[in-house]
Amino acid sequence: MLRYALRRVPSALAVLAIASVVVFGVLHLATGDPAVLAAGPDASARTVSAVRHQLGLDAPLPQQYLTWLGGVLTGDLGDSYVRGVPVATLIGNGLGNPLELTLGAVVLAVLLGGLAGLVLGVARGRLLRGATAAATALAFAIPPYVSGVLLVMVFAITHRILPAGGHVSVLADPEIGVQYLIMPALALALPAAAVLARFLSTSIRRVFGEDYIRIGTAKGLRRRRIVLCHALPNALPPVLTVLGIQIGQMLGGAIVVEAIFAWPGVGQLIIDSLKSSDYFVVQNLLLITVTVFVVLQTVTDLLHAAVDPRLRME
Amino acid sequence: MTTTAATETPPTATTAAVVRGGGWSRLLRRPVLSMGLALVVVLVLAGVLAPLLAPASPARQGPLALAHPSAAHPLGTDEYGRDLFSRVLYGLRQDVFATLIAVPVGALAGILIGLASGLARWLDTVIQRLFDVMLSFTALIAGVTVAMIIGSGATAVMVTIALVNVPLFGRLIRSSVVGERQRDYVVAATAIGSGRVRILVRHILPNGLDPLIVQFALSMSTAVFIEGGMSYVGLGIRPPAPSLGSLLQGSMNFLAQNPWYAIGPMAAVTLLVLGFQLVADGLTASLLRR
Repeated sequence: MLRYALRRVPSALAVLAIASVVVFGVLHLATGDPAVLAAGPDASARTVSAVRHQLGLDAPLPQQYLTWLGGVLTGDLGDSYVRGVPVATLIGNGLGNPLELTLGAVVLAVLLGGLAGLVLGVARGRLLRGATAAATALAFAIPPYVSGVLLVMVFAITHRILPAGGHVSVLADPEIGVQYLIMPALALALPAAAVLARFLSTSIRRVFGEDYIRIGTAKGLRRRRIVLCHALPNALPPVLTVLGIQIGQMLGGAIVVEAIFAWPGVGQLIIDSLKSSDYFVVQNLLLITVTVFVVLQTVTDLLHAAVDPRLRME
Repeated sequence: MTTTAATETPPTATTAAVVRGGGWSRLLRRPVLSMGLALVVVLVLAGVLAPLLAPASPARQGPLALAHPSAAHPLGTDEYGRDLFSRVLYGLRQDVFATLIAVPVGALAGILIGLASGLARWLDTVIQRLFDVMLSFTALIAGVTVAMIIGSGATAVMVTIALVNVPLFGRLIRSSVVGERQRDYVVAATAIGSGRVRILVRHILPNGLDPLIVQFALSMSTAVFIEGGMSYVGLGIRPPAPSLGSLLQGSMNFLAQNPWYAIGPMAAVTLLVLGFQLVADGLTASLLRR
């Protein structure tokens, strides 16, 4: 296992290193000079060059890159020159909200996807399976921005049951907070749930073809026992990897869902900063989301290898 | 069996023969596939022929704002009195063109890069890491990155769709390269002196085509996702130009007055994505599961 980790982790680090160069390069390819923007609209050429010096933008590129990376590694993300506050404060203030949304969506995706996958994989009733298959196909085909608008239409406008948008922390006020959370989390969760359901049912059906299941049936085990004790534990590990990728996808999907439900999160911060050309903020947020994605993938790969020794070979 | 015969009828040719050997009619007998194809063809045609089908110009404003459906306006009107049916058709046109251009470009680039990984061991390692990096920028994060470099707009949407697809197709064709390399027909081709490039393009590519076709259909559906997502948050096609994403975004403020504003674009997006996915499902069933 250690040997597998020693091989897997460096390649993840390599990916992160290259990604950081790409993200840094983006800032310098981006149209518009950050120094001009930071100095303000009426600044003279001298002020601009002073600001450029102050922001360290006149240093050679490799040096700028290393300064930035060193700052990121020590937790100093620099200042937003549009908002005039440290980037770390901006992100730190809003970090709880996207975490809440992602966690809510993951819980819903696992519950709905797990249930649908189980039905598709083991249920015998034709009607039940057909209905679940249709629901899964539909959930897969509806993008979050369509299901989000649809949810608002039905539950916030036609029936005034839930708030159309906004955010109240679940931790501060669970009862109200959940009302704000449920629709955005559901919109984000549906496509992931559909993917999970598909992979789980395929995985279960593959396991059902294995000899040890046939032996279980032959020696007269109850079907429920076969499914829960033998088929599921062996069908789950590959699904775990898919879940990791889906959580990673949610980071991007959250940008749209946050916009629909006016949910104050990292996605909104990225879009706002992009529109106000606050490149330092975008640069850091891009690196953070990419890092989270790579870390998630590495962790799920390691977990998968921990429960399935065959993967450690190759 | 002679060497030439071995190179010309590779072991997996039977899979592809379903499509080639007059098998299209048999493929179409799959209800999922034919339903999906029908949906896709109708919607793509509606988009392409939008200038002929639309009852009004998508930009023409009228006195009736936020009207509900009527004979004159089948889907009602928006806040400027523009005909929503026409706007949905033109939005569909925008999406169809963006996806039909961007997905093939991304697929082609991915296939070429993926095939190149079969040329040398070191190149394979470099390309693998390149794909890893590209994959770590998920769809909308890639969209933000692209919009930051070239600015938001229809071009940014197409570049994003193409870029996101490069590693998907590249990985698929690379796994064919790795899987087929040991097969007898490749060894035979090497033995009669075929060059590496010739083997990759003439022998391995045709045999790895089936998963690529399925991926193509799936990629078309995710491309619609990406356009809508980027346009919704203002990185993609921007009003007044209609796209399915920007129409939905515009409808958000008027859901209470005119829910029909949202229903048209919602139905168009869902049916288009569903169509592509049904095609992908049907193709998976006939090409891959055997």
